[in-house]
Amino acid sequence: MKITQGAFSFLPELTDAQIAAQVEYALGQGWAVSIEVTDDPHPRNCYWEMWGMPMFGLKDAAGVMTELKAARATRPQSYIRLNAFDSTRGWETIRLSFIVNRPDVEPGFHLDRVEEQGRVQRYAIRRKSA
Amino acid sequence: MTTLDTTMPGAATPETAVPAKLDLAAMYRESEIGPLLAELDRDLIGLQPVKNRIREIAAYLLVTKARRELGLEASTPTLHMAFTGNPGTGKTTVALRMAGILHRLGYVRKGHLVSVTRDDLVGQYIGHTAPKTKEVLKRAMGGVLFIDEAYYLYRPENEKDYGQEAIEILLQVMENQRDDLVVILAGYADRMQTFFSANPGFRSRIAHHIDFPDYSDDELFHIAELIAEKEGYRFDEGAKAAMRDYIIARRSQSDFANARSIRNAFDRARLRQAIRLFDAGGTVDADALSTITAEEIRSSRVLSVATGK
Amino acid sequence: MTVQEKTPIDPKKRYSAGVLKYAQMGYWDGDYVPKDTDILALFRITPQEGVDPIEAAAAVAGESSTATWTVVWTDLLTACDSYRAKAYKVEPVPGQPGQYFCWVAYDIILFEEGSIVNLAASIIGNVFSFKPLKAARLEDMRFPPAYIKAFKGPPTGIVVERERLEKYGRPLLGATIKPKLGLSGKNYGRVVYEGLTGGLDFTKDDENINSQPFMHWRDRFLYCMEGVMKATADTGEVKGHYLNITAGTMEEMYRRADFAKQLGSVVIMVDLVIGWTAIQSIAEWCRANDMILHMHRAGHGTYTRQKNHGISFRVITKWLRLAGVDHLHTGTAVGKLEGDPMTVQGYYNVCRETKNEVDLPRGIFFEQDWCDIRKVMPVASGGIHAGQMHQLLHLFGDDVVMQFGGGTIGHPMGIQAGAVANRVAMETMVLARNEGRDIMAEGPEILRNAAKWCKPLEAALATWGAVTFDYASTDTSDFVPTASVS
Repeated sequence: MKITQGAFSFLPELTDAQIAAQVEYALGQGWAVSIEVTDDPHPRNCYWEMWGMPMFGLKDAAGVMTELKAARATRPQSYIRLNAFDSTRGWETIRLSFIVNRPDVEPGFHLDRVEEQGRVQRYAIRRKSA
Repeated sequence: MTTLDTTMPGAATPETAVPAKLDLAAMYRESEIGPLLAELDRDLIGLQPVKNRIREIAAYLLVTKARRELGLEASTPTLHMAFTGNPGTGKTTVALRMAGILHRLGYVRKGHLVSVTRDDLVGQYIGHTAPKTKEVLKRAMGGVLFIDEAYYLYRPENEKDYGQEAIEILLQVMENQRDDLVVILAGYADRMQTFFSANPGFRSRIAHHIDFPDYSDDELFHIAELIAEKEGYRFDEGAKAAMRDYIIARRSQSDFANARSIRNAFDRARLRQAIRLFDAGGTVDADALSTITAEEIRSSRVLSVATGK
Repeated sequence: MTVQEKTPIDPKKRYSAGVLKYAQMGYWDGDYVPKDTDILALFRITPQEGVDPIEAAAAVAGESSTATWTVVWTDLLTACDSYRAKAYKVEPVPGQPGQYFCWVAYDIILFEEGSIVNLAASIIGNVFSFKPLKAARLEDMRFPPAYIKAFKGPPTGIVVERERLEKYGRPLLGATIKPKLGLSGKNYGRVVYEGLTGGLDFTKDDENINSQPFMHWRDRFLYCMEGVMKATADTGEVKGHYLNITAGTMEEMYRRADFAKQLGSVVIMVDLVIGWTAIQSIAEWCRANDMILHMHRAGHGTYTRQKNHGISFRVITKWLRLAGVDHLHTGTAVGKLEGDPMTVQGYYNVCRETKNEVDLPRGIFFEQDWCDIRKVMPVASGGIHAGQMHQLLHLFGDDVVMQFGGGTIGHPMGIQAGAVANRVAMETMVLARNEGRDIMAEGPEILRNAAKWCKPLEAALATWGAVTFDYASTDTSDFVPTASVS
């Protein structure tokens, strides 16, 4: 399966030039880009590992691409995503996020069920092992 | 939602045929570096050797651009530079203009200047330096990184100095990411020489050296007048003579810093003028408010020491 | 304070028994400068033949505040000057003979804090049936910060909704389950599952899906959540279904909301017709239970659509942002339902901006500071399809839910394929826009290029690519760029 989190998961894998263009867009909006990595892409795992701090004050995508290269070299079989953070009042949140690296095999998730009264099901989503 | 109107790297760029001929003059006009060079001429007093070198480099960059467009050269040229000279000789100002020239000719994508010293690059403890240096490099990407007094990065007397770590990261990026940024190392000429001897990696990656000579006394005097004019002041005749004396005396002092020393002298003279007017009381007109007299220059410690008062 | 000071009208005439003109009763004051604390309203009125527009405006001010048809001496027992609403400006509506814009200011003391129903009873309680007016429409309102802060606003808001869903930088995608009536719970849940696992973020109950003989509400909730959770596991993405909890009593609505929460739903839905008190109550519940509240504007067309009579939807949008909803259907401009593009953009701005500036082409007559109250996620729903993606993204930006009901479920290759087509069209358009491409010019080509590698999109474009709903809008903003506005 292919995890479809992020803004561009239904498109063919983005090339580095395409990724850099999105980073340029984010920098142009005044957003700070950060890189996050995980081996546990559970939909409720919102805290991926930070690959360094958000990169404040960049003028050009090359800085992000340099770090992305390093992250991929270190964690080729992990999920890596880029986030663009907007610090303006009233937003103060991520404004763009997309996956830029995936493991070769994406194991996906089990849906576990527990029966309760009145036909109610308790659901739990559990990561399949690779 | 704003959209960018420039073509982004991700957008499709159609293959274009290699032209047979190029019009260098047209390329020069289109690049709009002419106004930058003219501005440099206008804003910087003297420095003729520096201006000549910049024209040479600009011409070289333009020709290299043409050669690349005709397919005569494939790789990105090394553009890292060394600016050597005493303090206050215009190195930072020229670096700023150089960033503009490199940008207009397409050698750097954004054309901003990030100016740092050792403290911005080198950390205080183990594991501190690499992130610091990398952060600075990332901010400079797309533009020019200006490292003032670069030799402080290298402290051979302390073999555990973290400066070495910063040097290694710098060298790696200067070599591998020539598309992404241009590094300018700056400092006193003699100390830069020593630094390059001890770090041949830097020497081999520097393509252009520019030596910034000290300003002559006349040039410094002209600079003083220009600073005053920009601030809406003028020197009276007595002040002019005093300023010439001041320049000669100031130059002999060990911490003389060319144009910077003149700027500081002007700032102090302006304060003294204010206190003179304040103490005198009464009414003042615009002329009085904008005139610096000999008294404000002569009362400088520099001149009182020189004349033995 | 003497009576003379209280009112500019000759007290002998003003309080002698009988019938006076409203303007003479103090409801018109052309020199009045609205206070920062006043609530302002702009009405469009059509006076009966022979009725002076200023007198008509004064009547609107009077009937929506303290006046009655005759003089009452008991006014003298009150600080009646401050309670009187004041019409302070009347201008003919450009290009609409017989119609006038009239501006009315209300002192803040006239309104109970935190109660839209009180506001509605005051401003629209009487005046719309008033005989001297042929028609009246409430076009826009301005609320002072003190009044705004008396409301809690959206329980979730755009920012927190996105953080809960972990979805950023693109519009959200939804679909309303069709056919809207008749499916059994089990068949209904199948459509939910197929749509969500195909790539939608949300599916939706329609406005009249409550608890009918073919599908009781509890059955619907159980099967829908089965679909939601299976799709979440399939895709690794948070998914949701707007469970419509609209019911005959508040007690029943709470019961259904509690069950939705117990099943792990991230969102519930109500219809606008439940009324203002019920909306504010369920917003309270959502705030207490971390639930996204989806508002379906069922019924609004009965009073928002005609330009000469009723209430503009921008006013309803303002009231709903105060009352506290997270999603609000605000029109598509390009789909099957009413809405001039600029007017619709005005509603979006009311939902999403921190501060609205005066914007006459978009029907925004007043500056409005929302005092950091959360932002409402607008929903574009009704007759839209993947082939319009560039127009939708251009008009509405990222912070919108695009609902493609027929455009998903009616896909010739099936519901999943329909969802894929919409998601690919949306992602490819966002990517292109961010790259700096002119999507209004290049949009159709961008879609055709994506269709080369995405069969479902190719089929969607072939099926609906030519469908447009190109009728003249009835509700356009009558403005002239030079009109003076206060």
